[in-house]
Amino acid sequence: MTANACSVSLRGVRRSYDGAPAVEDMNLEAPEGKVLALLGPSGSGKSTILRLIAGLEPVDGGEVRFGEEIVSARGRTLAPEARRVGFVFQDYSLFPHLTAAANVAFGLDRLSRAEREREASRWLDTVGLGRRAASYPHELSGGEQQRVALARALAPRPRAILLDEPFSGLDPVLRAELLEVTMGAIAEARPTAVFVTHVAEEALQVADRLAVLKAGRLLQEASPREAYDHPNSADVAAALGPVNLYNGSVRGGVLDTPFGSLAADLPDGSPAQAVVRLEALSLRPGAAARVRDRRPHGASDLLRIEAGGHIWRAFAPPRTALSQSVDVTFDPAGVFVFPL
Amino acid sequence: MAIELPPRQDAPVPLWTSAVIGDDRVSRESSLLAWPMKADIVSIAALVAAVLVSAPALAVFLLALAPHGAESELAGGLMRDGVIGTLLLMLIGGGGAIACGAAAAWLVTLCRFPGRGVFEWLLVAPLAAPSYVLAYAYSSLTWAGGPIAFPITGFWGAAFVYSLGLYPYVYLAARAAFASQSVCALEAARTLGARPGALIWRVALPLARPGIVAGGALALMEIAADYGAAQHFGVTTMSTAIFRAWYGHGAPHAALQISALLLAAALFFLLIERRARGRRSYAGGSSRWRPLPRYQLRSFPALGAALFCGLLVLLGALLPLAWLARLALLRSADDIASLGQPLLNSLLLAGVGAAVTLVLAALIAVAARRGDRIGRAGVLAAGMGYAAPGAVIALGALSLFALARQAHWIGGFGGAVALATLFWTYAARFSAAGAQSIDAGLSRLATGVDASARTLGAGPLRRLIAIDLPIAAPSAAAAALIVFVEILKELPATLILRPFDFDTLAVKAYAYASDERLIQSAAPALAIFLAGLAPILFLSRRLSRARAGAR
Repeated sequence: MTANACSVSLRGVRRSYDGAPAVEDMNLEAPEGKVLALLGPSGSGKSTILRLIAGLEPVDGGEVRFGEEIVSARGRTLAPEARRVGFVFQDYSLFPHLTAAANVAFGLDRLSRAEREREASRWLDTVGLGRRAASYPHELSGGEQQRVALARALAPRPRAILLDEPFSGLDPVLRAELLEVTMGAIAEARPTAVFVTHVAEEALQVADRLAVLKAGRLLQEASPREAYDHPNSADVAAALGPVNLYNGSVRGGVLDTPFGSLAADLPDGSPAQAVVRLEALSLRPGAAARVRDRRPHGASDLLRIEAGGHIWRAFAPPRTALSQSVDVTFDPAGVFVFPL
Repeated sequence: MAIELPPRQDAPVPLWTSAVIGDDRVSRESSLLAWPMKADIVSIAALVAAVLVSAPALAVFLLALAPHGAESELAGGLMRDGVIGTLLLMLIGGGGAIACGAAAAWLVTLCRFPGRGVFEWLLVAPLAAPSYVLAYAYSSLTWAGGPIAFPITGFWGAAFVYSLGLYPYVYLAARAAFASQSVCALEAARTLGARPGALIWRVALPLARPGIVAGGALALMEIAADYGAAQHFGVTTMSTAIFRAWYGHGAPHAALQISALLLAAALFFLLIERRARGRRSYAGGSSRWRPLPRYQLRSFPALGAALFCGLLVLLGALLPLAWLARLALLRSADDIASLGQPLLNSLLLAGVGAAVTLVLAALIAVAARRGDRIGRAGVLAAGMGYAAPGAVIALGALSLFALARQAHWIGGFGGAVALATLFWTYAARFSAAGAQSIDAGLSRLATGVDASARTLGAGPLRRLIAIDLPIAAPSAAAAALIVFVEILKELPATLILRPFDFDTLAVKAYAYASDERLIQSAAPALAIFLAGLAPILFLSRRLSRARAGAR
């Protein structure tokens, strides 16, 4: 298999629609053959970034490079059909008048007919759809359509593959299964991948590099581990998992919370926000907080506890005897203090 | 295909280097630059199509502006009479069409009465007959010795025919407006205790107003464009004034000036229609289909509703159809046989004309779907042709040929040139109808499909052939049918541009009627009426399927 992947980078890219900026001063790099995940809520500009990389839209400023080649700059856009990128669209956008096999073969028109058919069926097998080759898109389930879209995008051996919320229309069980199929197929073809999602677990699971976006701006780009353990803002911390937020003022280099003081390298009197991951609270019987509510939440129970008029959320092992009031200790690895 | 532009002066690095990897496929492709103004082969073809369909109308405007003192007085007088006639007909005939159409739409969408389901689709039937066919049918019905003693002639005759023949435009648009968007609001109003009467004035009518305005604008456009009926009833309108200036007074420039004013008026109505339609599409509430809450009408109201709808269908379609059939059957076999050549000519014109029109329409529709500026301009250009009366377009095309002859680009205006001009006129006139239908087919494509094909390396031509055309094929067939029948019904442009002695069914019907030989005109008029029924039934079926909530 030829390794023809190349790095994809954005340098100072800007894009706005009718004066409203969708992407501002964006700097990103997807290293060759690696997976860059873009995580952010809707409206954060992640889909726009994919369309800019694919050349479906021009940049207003900055540049997009494939390796050293500039493919987009202001006023110049290499046509999408000349870029050799694969794109898995959110709605799959299969060709409704073509069978699954013909959809996959569409991008292989430079091969001979026999080779084309062989490649198409090989890719359908890779995504586990060999027996649906003759089906039309409307005869396929949502998950099957997604797999066809994936095979179609990978078949022409793109330099980079772009996935726009590829599992958004599917139920959680199917999601997990397809995530595995997708990453397996990508691992086989080894293109550079840019994966857009608003689900933190998905991003953490697939990413070699993780970029957290908000309102068209990059908040942090790091490895998943680094972003999770050392978020550079409350927004990044909250984007990667559920957190408690607690606002207060710094006094004597610390921020006081009902459950102890947190070191804060900020001047006296400045407002600060403590960001505490739910799993960083460990509970034991005591008197610091009152248990308001307790519900099963997967492997653990989710508790809502009240201290000083403020509600905190925390996990506890199921069926432990924490019913009235509790003491709380923080695990420092999941506690961050940011200036407000 | 792309246009190479010189590199930017302040380029920081050598742009568009292709030394990515040693794959010559990549380096060849990397020289393919797309520019914001996409100048690919499909766009260029669409540009040619847009120029072709807009040229006659633009020519009318430009040539009418040229000063020409000798004829301006004549033009002024004719124009004044024509404007007054057209405006009065719009007021009475158009007002009648709007009232009938809106009332019928309200009854069949929001009430329940005997026969409602049948009327729902029968009410569109009058669209099958062009106004001149209805005019000939009613003239012969009320002829001395005819079965109806009440005379239908002159101005009031024309207004009557327009009201009956054109109300379906309003009916269709208003029905869609009532049916598509007022359900939720109507249910809300009912839970708030609004009684049926209040419901009409306070909720249903305001919500359907954009639909009524859009349909009304179309009906008024048709009145402005009509030549046959106004001519038959002897009313001076702007359309008949064009013919009188040109053929009666031999004053082509006066005809052009009246045409320009008529075209401006038509564009104004088109603008109103587009705006009203645009607003309607924004206003939609829930996109899910739900059965409409209908009021059960009882005893007299129910009878009245059925009677009203029945009268519209009877007078607009059934009675004229039956009468024309009866008159046609009175004729001898020889008479019928003499219609063979006109029938062949009609089929030839409609067939070739529809093919030419469809090619141009498809190019424009595809380019517009791709978000191409040229394509969107093409849609506007085609819309202009659609609004323009046939006589105006024909005059514009003819003027362009006259200019070409003055410049010695072409020789005489022989049969072949006349036919070519005629096809061009049809394309200019009807490409909007074709483009709209093809666009409806293309709209089934998810927005990402074109983008998908592009990221898979398909260029503009391959996307046209492999994606757009197969997807649009069924709706293109529908478009072909619609355009075919429109050309079959078309009278004024055919009358102006046809080669010498080249008769079509429409021309025959007109010629007999002009000679007061209404019995002879019945057979060709009937043929046109029956041909017109085909797309109407087709359209009606498609509409009812669209409402069945398939999605």
